[in-house]
Amino acid sequence: MTGPILAVSNLSVDLEREGRSRRVVDDVSFALAPGEVLGLVGEAGSGKSVLARALVRAVSTPLEIAAGKVVFEGKDILSLPPRALSAIRGNRIGFIGANPMGSLDPRLPIGQQIVEKLRCVRPGIGRAEARDKVLDLLARVRIPSPGARFHEAPFQFSGGMMQRVMIVDALVSDPSLVIADNITQPLDVTVAAQIIRLIDGLRQSLDTAFLFISSSLPVVAQIAERTLVMQRGRIVEEGRTAEIAARPRQSYTRALISRIPSIWKDVTAPAAREGEAVLTVDNVMRSYLVRRRGSFNAYNEVKAVRDVSFTVKAGENFGIVGESGCGKSTLTRLLAWLEQPDGGRIAFLGKDLSHLSARSLTEMRRSFQLLLQDPYGSLPSGMPLQRMIEEPLLIHGVGRAEAAKRAQEAMAEVGLDMELADRLPVGLSAGQRQRINIARALVLKPRLLILDETLSALDQVEQAELLDLFNRLQATHGFSYVFISHDLALVRRMCHRIAVMYLGRIVELADNSTLFEQPHHPYTRALLSAMPTLEDNRFPRPRYLLDGEPPSPIDLPLGCSFRSRCPRAQGDCEKTDPPLLALAGGNYAACLHRHEAPHEEEAVHVE
Amino acid sequence: MADIAHENVAPRPAAKRGVTPTRRMLQIAAARTDFRIGLVGFAMLVGLAILLPLVSPVDPIKIAYGSKLLPPFPAEGWKWPYLLGTDQLGRDVLMRCLVGLRYSLLIGITTVVLMFVVGCSLGLYAGFRGGWVDAVIMRLTDAQLSIPMIILAITILGVSRPTVPAIILVLGLSGWPLYARVARSVALGERSRGYVLGERVLGASDLRIMLLFVAPVVLPPIAFVAVLDIARMMIFESILGFLGLGVQPPTPTFGNVIADARKYLLNAWWIATMPGVFMLVSLTCLNLMGSALERARNAVLRGEA
Repeated sequence: MTGPILAVSNLSVDLEREGRSRRVVDDVSFALAPGEVLGLVGEAGSGKSVLARALVRAVSTPLEIAAGKVVFEGKDILSLPPRALSAIRGNRIGFIGANPMGSLDPRLPIGQQIVEKLRCVRPGIGRAEARDKVLDLLARVRIPSPGARFHEAPFQFSGGMMQRVMIVDALVSDPSLVIADNITQPLDVTVAAQIIRLIDGLRQSLDTAFLFISSSLPVVAQIAERTLVMQRGRIVEEGRTAEIAARPRQSYTRALISRIPSIWKDVTAPAAREGEAVLTVDNVMRSYLVRRRGSFNAYNEVKAVRDVSFTVKAGENFGIVGESGCGKSTLTRLLAWLEQPDGGRIAFLGKDLSHLSARSLTEMRRSFQLLLQDPYGSLPSGMPLQRMIEEPLLIHGVGRAEAAKRAQEAMAEVGLDMELADRLPVGLSAGQRQRINIARALVLKPRLLILDETLSALDQVEQAELLDLFNRLQATHGFSYVFISHDLALVRRMCHRIAVMYLGRIVELADNSTLFEQPHHPYTRALLSAMPTLEDNRFPRPRYLLDGEPPSPIDLPLGCSFRSRCPRAQGDCEKTDPPLLALAGGNYAACLHRHEAPHEEEAVHVE
Repeated sequence: MADIAHENVAPRPAAKRGVTPTRRMLQIAAARTDFRIGLVGFAMLVGLAILLPLVSPVDPIKIAYGSKLLPPFPAEGWKWPYLLGTDQLGRDVLMRCLVGLRYSLLIGITTVVLMFVVGCSLGLYAGFRGGWVDAVIMRLTDAQLSIPMIILAITILGVSRPTVPAIILVLGLSGWPLYARVARSVALGERSRGYVLGERVLGASDLRIMLLFVAPVVLPPIAFVAVLDIARMMIFESILGFLGLGVQPPTPTFGNVIADARKYLLNAWWIATMPGVFMLVSLTCLNLMGSALERARNAVLRGEA
């Protein structure tokens, strides 16, 4: 038994602003053994990132380390001379951040940058040797054809691949400690799950200790043996991760856990309901022309939405889920009629939108409204609140007095304080801003609300409040909702029927309980298995998680576009691209071998 | 749960944030000494130029051979009828300078306003609409930028009579493409912002979105930089006057006064020098204000303030 490689005792960091100082990291002590993975959980603003920076003394002016000791491999980092510090930072301690794209120089090949970094922290190493080492690590983080990608610039990498490059960058100097600050946050669930699996494999082979920081306990629970829970700069709970998840001792930890929505345990799925069709989408296509790189007049066709059909009924919540690049945003723009489809038809209340005149389209716009994702950019900054909510009514020719009256009613209905009426939106919270957006849609008395990741910028408490508001509005006004989201837990809680998109296409369309309990398409299963949960995942990762990344939408493979990653792929998948095929109970899956699903599950249970 | 809910509504430092970027720019600029000096000097000059010719009995174009070429010094007995002396035809230099400054300012400011209005509205429209509208307007600016301004001015003002509106038109014509370019580039970025999409979804027309929402965001920063252009246009006005293409004599302008007084530079230096000094001072004041505004704008854009 060796001693800890990192021992932090009574570390405090102050934030100085306008002559007052506030303690953002308060009397933190912990230790980290060699090769251990320690999790650090806390909600936004609890001081996690400041702590991570303080550990390597990378805090600057408004922040100041007030007290404490950080002993790394026997040396106190906080009292080292600068030269000795730079021999440790980036060399013995690696750092991976949440913004992989911003961490490298966009002009230089990634390989060159990592070699340079290595030769900077280890002046003794030769150019060729450094190169070999980087290539070796690029292969070990499973970047395909590392020899070629060594010479590519950062913009040629996807987010997940870039995060792997950052892992190489952190590991290249054989550090004994790596600080990973929120590294899965910008990634899609399946890619994040791949990265976690990768780190887990690496630390077993490299014997590197990790400090794994995240705002989500389920994410940390996938990898860390021990976990620290941080609240307002203090460590409030420390223990084995499984122990904390199962039997939290502190009220704060309990509250954190209670806010994690459960997916399978004790969930009553909203049951599908009948009603007249509000929105009908028939075989909608949309593609974009993108200039081919290095050519003057040649274009590539990107098929963003391919052959999508579904119906939303009155009073129904319809969910559309998928990862980035699956065509969700394009579909949103089509549904909101901000763009016209190339083929197919979108009908609202039985009227084909492309056949409407400009005037009746404007009239029709009153009845379907879109709520955008970004609560900050989606409001005009120089307009008082009430005027902003009157705006849609003024557009549609309602008189000023009437508009003011209805705006005030709407403000009351969404829970905005009347005192805010004359204020500008600066300084309002994200939740209040989304309430304004809801009020703006509400005054038009729409039939359908399209929610494009509307809640993803909000924290759990605000999300829950707004979901209650949505339910209340649905009960009083009879709205239908289309939830477009990557958040499976949200969709599980709210939606009656759900469509899963992959590469511009709906691969599965089913009611809530079928989709989460017996999904038929292998991609749906992969999505569910990648979801970080504290409960037992119904679809264990070793069996269902996918490798690799989706093919480029520019040159789609012939046949089924999922077959390159599909565990069920057979010869006929190369020839036929399956449309949505009917299953029992009005559900659909776009898979030729959809009836194999139950057998797969049995096989898992037998194992 | 309760303590967490409470924590989330914890007070945020909203006290100082309720100011629009435009207001902040003005505040930063107004706090700078160079801006204050420029503002005070410029206000004094403008006040003089507007008021003094109105109240003074001296006529700037009345010829009086009896008192020609008097130097700007007190005459015998410490009387000082001509503060800055008289010119070769006995006209009061101070009064001629002030009238010249009037024309200079009139032409400079109206030209910039014209350029700003034409350039920004075309640029805004091009950037906001995109597509072929954008292509056509931008090729127009390219064509306009490829014609040297002085050549254009000589051609137009040489053929037609050089009246004040004609001069304003010529100067404005040569200046608008720059404004169109800048306005377009900003509008292009603004076009895909959330609030524009939001307005579209609500059913607003393009014109409404442009005037009510995009213009207030795009235009103020450009307007600040336009202050520097007033100085540039005043110089161009004098150049045209010097070449004989500006406002015609007997109306005095900086350009034609200096052109006429060149011949007397050795024995009556003040006739040509005084308009030059007036121009120097007013341009310095304008540039001080303009550069202070630009620095304030950069500070706000960089997020320093």
